Amino acid sequence: MNGDKSSATGAKPAVVETMNDLRLGAARKRLAESSGQEDAIEGVREIVANFLGSEEMGLFRVDRRTETFEVFWSFGIDLEQYDLLRALGDTGLQRVMRGECHVDLGTRERSGAMAKAQAFVPISVADQTIAILAIFRLLPQKVAFDKSDMELFKLLSDEAAKPLFGVTGHAAPRTEGPGVRM
Amino acid sequence: MSKKILVVDDSRTALMMEREILERRTTYQCVTANDGQEAVEKAQQEHPDLILMDVVMPRMNGFEACKMMRQQASTREIPIVLVTTRGEESYMEAGFQSGCNDYITKPVNGTELVALLQSYLGE
Repeated sequence: MNGDKSSATGAKPAVVETMNDLRLGAARKRLAESSGQEDAIEGVREIVANFLGSEEMGLFRVDRRTETFEVFWSFGIDLEQYDLLRALGDTGLQRVMRGECHVDLGTRERSGAMAKAQAFVPISVADQTIAILAIFRLLPQKVAFDKSDMELFKLLSDEAAKPLFGVTGHAAPRTEGPGVRM
Repeated sequence: MSKKILVVDDSRTALMMEREILERRTTYQCVTANDGQEAVEKAQQEHPDLILMDVVMPRMNGFEACKMMRQQASTREIPIVLVTTRGEESYMEAGFQSGCNDYITKPVNGTELVALLQSYLGE
């Protein structure tokens, strides 16, 4: 016996919802209640702006057949000339294609004419990255991403694919390495 | 009788979050509006004890709604807290000139928001 009354009686321990739980719950509900692709995109924009503190973002679709990335949508920033592969680098690309978030912990300054992304969030389905959400300049009052933001990245990564692209379930087995180049 | 807060935002995500915070962390009643125009109308109908309002919204923005509510006898005295992504001093100044009582920036810290609301309405 471990002396845990709730275990002994079979009762669940009281769950205390933190503010972060409420935030995650609101984000999850917003994505799940999206009425279509356009509304889902708006939902992602709202989540990034309201909860993560950035009004510059872009979504890149991964085309495994042609092994390219394509700008699918952007907000607050022109990504026409943006070189996603260069921005990610080999390590970053491998991480994101493995389904891990890649957060830039370096400078917040802009590099050259193009803004520097602060975070790359894989949008995944069945363990396969089908798109990448890049989050650029943070609002002046947002110093940096914190631990709770990582949980929100994870939620976007796991739950945004269906409302954004209408895809669920069974993808091909993950390939070794990134499997995508430009 | 519980105090009533009118939450105004065109973002469904922000409304969901603020409603969740109010319902789970306070005893305040929550009513919502999606833009400044609707906020002015709801404020007259609902007589809230406080208004928590976004600034950038379609139809009528938060500054305009705030000014309009300050011109009407029934809403003149209601505390208004503006919520926005814009934290620049000039923008905040414009907020206070429109007649708001307080100004907070997004991303909203839930704990700080509750403390601010309690400072106006009590627990």
